[in-house]
Amino acid sequence: MWLSFFTPDLFASAIRMATPLALAAIGGTICERSGVVNIALEGMMLVGAFFGVVVTLATGNVWLGVVAAIVAGVLLSAIHAFASVTLRMDQVVSGTALNILALGLTGFLMEVIYGHPGATNGIAHKIGPVFNFPTGGTGVLATIWTWVDQIVFSYTPIVYIAIIIAIVAQWAMYRTRWGLRLRALGEHPRAADTVGVRVQAGRYVAVLISGALGGLAGANLTLEQVGVFSDNMTSGRGFIALAANIFGRWTPVGSYLASLLFGFAEAIEIRMQSFQQGNQIPVQFFLMLPYVLVVIVLAGFMGRAVGPAAIGKPYEKE
Amino acid sequence: MSETHEAPVVRENLWMKALRTAGVPLLSVVFAMAIGSIIIAASGKDPVLAFGALLKGAFGSPEQWQIGNFRAFGDTISRATPLAFAGLAIAFGFRANLFNIGANGQLLLGAVTAAFLGLVLGGQPTWVAIPLILIGAALAGAAWAFIPAILKAKVGAHEVITTMMFSWIALYLTSWIISGPLKDAAGNSQTPMLPQAVWLPTLDQLLPGIFRVPVRAHLGFIIAIALAVLVWWILKKTTLGYGVRAVGFNQWAAQNGGISIAITTVYALCISGALAGLAGASEVLGVQHRMFDEVSAGSGFGFTGIAVALLAKNHPIAVIFSAILFGALSAGAGMMQLTANVPDKIIMIVQALIIFFVGAETVITWLIKRRQKLALEREGDSDVA
Repeated sequence: MWLSFFTPDLFASAIRMATPLALAAIGGTICERSGVVNIALEGMMLVGAFFGVVVTLATGNVWLGVVAAIVAGVLLSAIHAFASVTLRMDQVVSGTALNILALGLTGFLMEVIYGHPGATNGIAHKIGPVFNFPTGGTGVLATIWTWVDQIVFSYTPIVYIAIIIAIVAQWAMYRTRWGLRLRALGEHPRAADTVGVRVQAGRYVAVLISGALGGLAGANLTLEQVGVFSDNMTSGRGFIALAANIFGRWTPVGSYLASLLFGFAEAIEIRMQSFQQGNQIPVQFFLMLPYVLVVIVLAGFMGRAVGPAAIGKPYEKE
Repeated sequence: MSETHEAPVVRENLWMKALRTAGVPLLSVVFAMAIGSIIIAASGKDPVLAFGALLKGAFGSPEQWQIGNFRAFGDTISRATPLAFAGLAIAFGFRANLFNIGANGQLLLGAVTAAFLGLVLGGQPTWVAIPLILIGAALAGAAWAFIPAILKAKVGAHEVITTMMFSWIALYLTSWIISGPLKDAAGNSQTPMLPQAVWLPTLDQLLPGIFRVPVRAHLGFIIAIALAVLVWWILKKTTLGYGVRAVGFNQWAAQNGGISIAITTVYALCISGALAGLAGASEVLGVQHRMFDEVSAGSGFGFTGIAVALLAKNHPIAVIFSAILFGALSAGAGMMQLTANVPDKIIMIVQALIIFFVGAETVITWLIKRRQKLALEREGDSDVA
């Protein structure tokens, strides 16, 4: 039973499911490291997912769809940046408003454009896997190759891009001048300002990057995974990404790994749906495991999750 | 500095103060409706017809009122009720600087507890059963918030993560309870219908002289108002409330003042959880009369509760009005879609704009005050010179 449960496809599925979470979580990491709370990741994913489909359907080009998704995420995040950096509005208020706005806007436009509620039309072709190696055959070598092919070579482009972004962002955050300045913005903006770092501009950039990553996460959902946009299809992923960011201790690679945990849970959830016969333990108890695990880890092993010191505080130049 | 240039103190009466406080949220609603109208017009529909239908769907028409038909308004109130409880829950957390983003989980636990106790206590007299069920649901909500509260107080685990994790756990736990131990006779994923003895009476049953046509609004709304007053009193007049506000305002100052942050955090989050639990109970006892998967998962009262609290600026009495507004938008949306053919999602856009404007208002007022202060200071300086 367990052999047929833990197939290579399960692990590959976990990595696929982790991708949108990870992209949004890394966006959240960058944004929050600059001192701006971003609970609007959910909304940024949602507009990305929606406009990705709209532009793909309108132009027939799925890559223009990806660009549109990123632009949509950036535009929504620009409102957040303007509200929280320039207007110095409460960042949680702005984020909450933007989440609701994204939900309303996508639902409203869907009905206006396609004439029916619930879902958009489907796109003709989703983005396919990057590699397409032949598999099959028998024997140990063939089995090993199947595992390698599934777990390493079976993904669509944005899945690989997410891994690259996690590594590059980690490097940039800790090994470049930009990263040092970014962290300074979130820890002690006054000090950063004193040595000539432009606090507001830096925060704008960070918020916009999070919007771009949120939009890309949305593109992964619709243009690579599902092929159609349905109402509220992110269903809380933006909030899970927020948790993954904190669980990953506000680091890009940490965010990716935390997302992997949630991705694995989602993969198991999907697998469980076709695997229920003869199961004594109710499926719901498997499903709650990752969330219980996070709580246990937070309680016992991790100690205080300390965020950037100046997070959520608007900065005013003297 | 600011003290010396303050304008002579004019003693405002309560109404003037209320009007001044409510003025900006009201203006925000008007602005949001205006932008909503522009969006409706841009999509080729008639905004006047749309908002007319919305008002009618949410509040009814004078002809209906004359014959004692408050069905539309009852719908608004019934939708406002869980939002009022959830809004109070989140506002109370915010007052102590705690973001109870997982209120939905506490709400679910309250709902399933209410369903369970309703089945158990169904044979008891109504006036015994209903208070016991409500207390049980509140305790369940508080218990669900207790572990995140302890983790926050003891190891500093961020409540945004822990309450959200508990909200997912609650989703699966309640889903198992209603599809396993508590499933109905037909084997559906829902509890059996509760005995009528534990249903919260509707307003037409309570006040047949005024409500001459059956309405969906129920006793839960009156309980919510009573609780709003209670929460206001706790915040304003009790030591606990003082502690909550002090911790919310400035942790370090509160600690120096001898207030235990840990204990205040636990109390605040548990009270928030209890209020969220009551949101679930009132929905089960007052509207659905059973617990099923969609009671909260689909409708997300806990999340709308965040918006309700924000619009009310975390003031418990204002939460009631804020909840009525959100209830009205949600109740009127159907009529708007039917009559003016405008997608009901426009309501969410309007809600978002309202929250945004209210949030921006605080900033704008603050900026204006600062300008005035600076100007006064400059004047003061020139006087001296």
